[in-house]
Amino acid sequence: METTLVSLAHGFAIAFQPDNLGYAFLGCLIGTLVGVLPGIGPLAGISILLPVTFGLNATQAVIMLAGIYYGSQYGGSTTSILMRIPGEASSVMTCIDGNAMARKGRAGAALCIAAVGSFIAGTFGVIMLTLVAPPLATLALRFGPPEYTALLVLGLIFLAYMSSSSLVRTLLMACLGIAIGLIGIDNMTGHFRFSFDLAELGDGIGIVPVAVGLFGLGEILSTPSHKIAGEVIAPKLRELLPTRKEWREAAGPIARGSGLGFIVGIIPGSAHVISSFLSYALERKISKHPEQFGKGAVAGVAGPESANNSASTGAFVPMLSLGIPTGPITAVLIGALMIHGVSAGPQLVNERPEIFWGFVASMYVGNLMLLLLNLPLVSVFVAVLRIPYVYLYPLIIMFCIVGVYEVNNSIVDVWIMLIMGVLGFALRKFNFDPAPLVLGLVIAPLFEQSLRQSLVMSNGNYFIFMNRPIAAVLLGICVLLLSLSAMSFFTKRRDWRAKLAEAEAGETTP
Amino acid sequence: MDRRSFFIGTAATATALAAGPSFAQETYPSRNITIMVAFPPGGANDIITRPVAAELEKIFKQSVVVENKAGAGGQVGAQVAANAKPDGYTLLSHNNGISGYAEVDKLFDRKPKTTREDFVPLARLAADPVMLLVNAEQPYKTVKEFIDDAKKRPEAIVYSSGGLYGATHLPVAIFEKATGIPKLRHLPTNGGGPAVTALLGNNAQMSTQTVSASLAHVRSGKLRALATFGATRSPAHPDVPTLKELGFDAEYYLWVGLFAPKGTPAAIVQTLSAALDKASQTEAYKSVIEKIGQEYAYQNAKDFAAFWEADAKASDEAVKLIGRVG
Repeated sequence: METTLVSLAHGFAIAFQPDNLGYAFLGCLIGTLVGVLPGIGPLAGISILLPVTFGLNATQAVIMLAGIYYGSQYGGSTTSILMRIPGEASSVMTCIDGNAMARKGRAGAALCIAAVGSFIAGTFGVIMLTLVAPPLATLALRFGPPEYTALLVLGLIFLAYMSSSSLVRTLLMACLGIAIGLIGIDNMTGHFRFSFDLAELGDGIGIVPVAVGLFGLGEILSTPSHKIAGEVIAPKLRELLPTRKEWREAAGPIARGSGLGFIVGIIPGSAHVISSFLSYALERKISKHPEQFGKGAVAGVAGPESANNSASTGAFVPMLSLGIPTGPITAVLIGALMIHGVSAGPQLVNERPEIFWGFVASMYVGNLMLLLLNLPLVSVFVAVLRIPYVYLYPLIIMFCIVGVYEVNNSIVDVWIMLIMGVLGFALRKFNFDPAPLVLGLVIAPLFEQSLRQSLVMSNGNYFIFMNRPIAAVLLGICVLLLSLSAMSFFTKRRDWRAKLAEAEAGETTP
Repeated sequence: MDRRSFFIGTAATATALAAGPSFAQETYPSRNITIMVAFPPGGANDIITRPVAAELEKIFKQSVVVENKAGAGGQVGAQVAANAKPDGYTLLSHNNGISGYAEVDKLFDRKPKTTREDFVPLARLAADPVMLLVNAEQPYKTVKEFIDDAKKRPEAIVYSSGGLYGATHLPVAIFEKATGIPKLRHLPTNGGGPAVTALLGNNAQMSTQTVSASLAHVRSGKLRALATFGATRSPAHPDVPTLKELGFDAEYYLWVGLFAPKGTPAAIVQTLSAALDKASQTEAYKSVIEKIGQEYAYQNAKDFAAFWEADAKASDEAVKLIGRVG
């Protein structure tokens, strides 16, 4: 413990050197821009700037590149809240309640809560990274395919709490998402499934084009069909800050989101994507007013936004202490370190402490910079809403197309987004919620792969899920959740969902 | 201006325009060159191609743009490059994967989208020998112990790969054939990183990964290298024998090559390969290769063509050995 603090102090000495401070700021600034501008994602941003860092030393390079990564997580919520365009998969949940808040004139409050939540979650993540990285990293390694499968089963159960529409509609959307998620090469046998001879569909349907299409484009397409004349959602300047009540509502979700996100973020693989989904479902499950979700609940912004930031910090744990990438972005960062002659791995902290601790300390500083950078920007961003729809929406469509193309340089992705836009429009007209579809799409390929990998490991024996402690505990939680729901069915207590279904039935039978 | 002089003028302009392209060809390159990398940013292909592009820029005095066109294990990039205009302005950076697509397609009765004939090899930028690695918790200290156990317990030892018929799957098939052991059990993952993670977590017991991808983990003691698929011992692992030394005919590298689409004029191919030869001698290129833990393994167009021919044959054979799994 004491040695950790001494090392950290040493790290701060490095992080506070003027040029390192400059590079951290530069990274955070670029990251914020990358996060806000839909035309470019963090992965592309880091890759393009990677050659620029050749002239720097390894510490400076990693401080700057990592700044782009976690900086972009701050900015990612902006377009979700203001325009209902998720810049990446983890911002999907922010679209729902964040945009609903914006429509009620609380855009500023939503952006502030997202920024502060991100700051708290990011800082919490770094503290955890400082204190418990090595033991947690070993835990991450024990997270193999069976544990993954069990986690995703939990995710599927949480799915039922995701949506404001009735259970049948939610499940329908989820099934559609899962079906779409099965498109692509079968990793186990090499068959192309439903790819219509397009190699571009080999890796499946991307989450970003689907999310941008369903939420962003679907929203824009449906706007002209209802009356918007005179609808101004830009608030006055003094209304930018959240009220005391909103802060109170945000506190719990931020704390839970930070913890949940960090744990999920440590897991190698693409699980960090589901951290914001899980947080949203959790908040709704424990909320006293679950019916407010989807209509601008503060918790629906605070929880997921904190979770995805904390998860992006958690992702550094296996990267720094084991040299294992948790996703494409950490893979690029490991590559960047390699180019500077540093191999990320268990020896990093001992062989090159100045890099490890300098980097960790720079993240404390970087998170503070991001908060100071983002709060004043809130008023600037909110001003965007003052632009009349006639000019704003064509611009948004352009950004959607450019942004989706940028992710993989793929024109097929643009077509997917356009098709999903039309689907999103139709779903909106028929009152279906697209969020479960996106979660289904996220979970399906991961679930399929980890389930089949587990069965390869066990040679077809399903008991592998019970024999491994972590998997067994996760599955135990699933059983508990299901039996709790079953209990309420027997005790005939009507929960909010039953009330909702009744209200819906009432609407259709006049 | 009367009609006649207008006609003459037009004809003269048209002739000049028609002559244009042949003139431009003499001064190749006269505009931006794009190198398509068939893999995502941050991978070995990407990291190695970028400094080469920067050197070509200096030689040609033209921008050389690196564009990642990833997808379907490199097939998307290969397909796009194969259909690009063969004018020397679109090149492809690819790896071993480019050899095997046609053979895999044959296996599944699909019409191959690209074959080796669609590409002209320009240079081999890197070749990283593959190592036979086991999780350090496993008892195997030598290849012989591993083989003995594999024979005793068929299909019990699990190995991880970055994907079916990929560059970390084929060497296992080559190893199985060379040693005559019964088939091992395959755990496919989606990429080199996850395959190493599976091995580190002991969810797989063996994997074949490159020297640069595994060095840090071998040094930290979490993985053990039993043998190398290289022709000579790796300087990073002087104590680890080659499979050839042990009497097994198995050799495999994960290489990175540059290609031009079929039909690219010979003169342009020559210009490009001369420029690449020059770029390969620069300090910038050599230092990147060294820093990512690889040995200098540049081959010019002629040597690479011969190497590719032999390597692709071995790859086709390995694909056939694996066969259809489902």
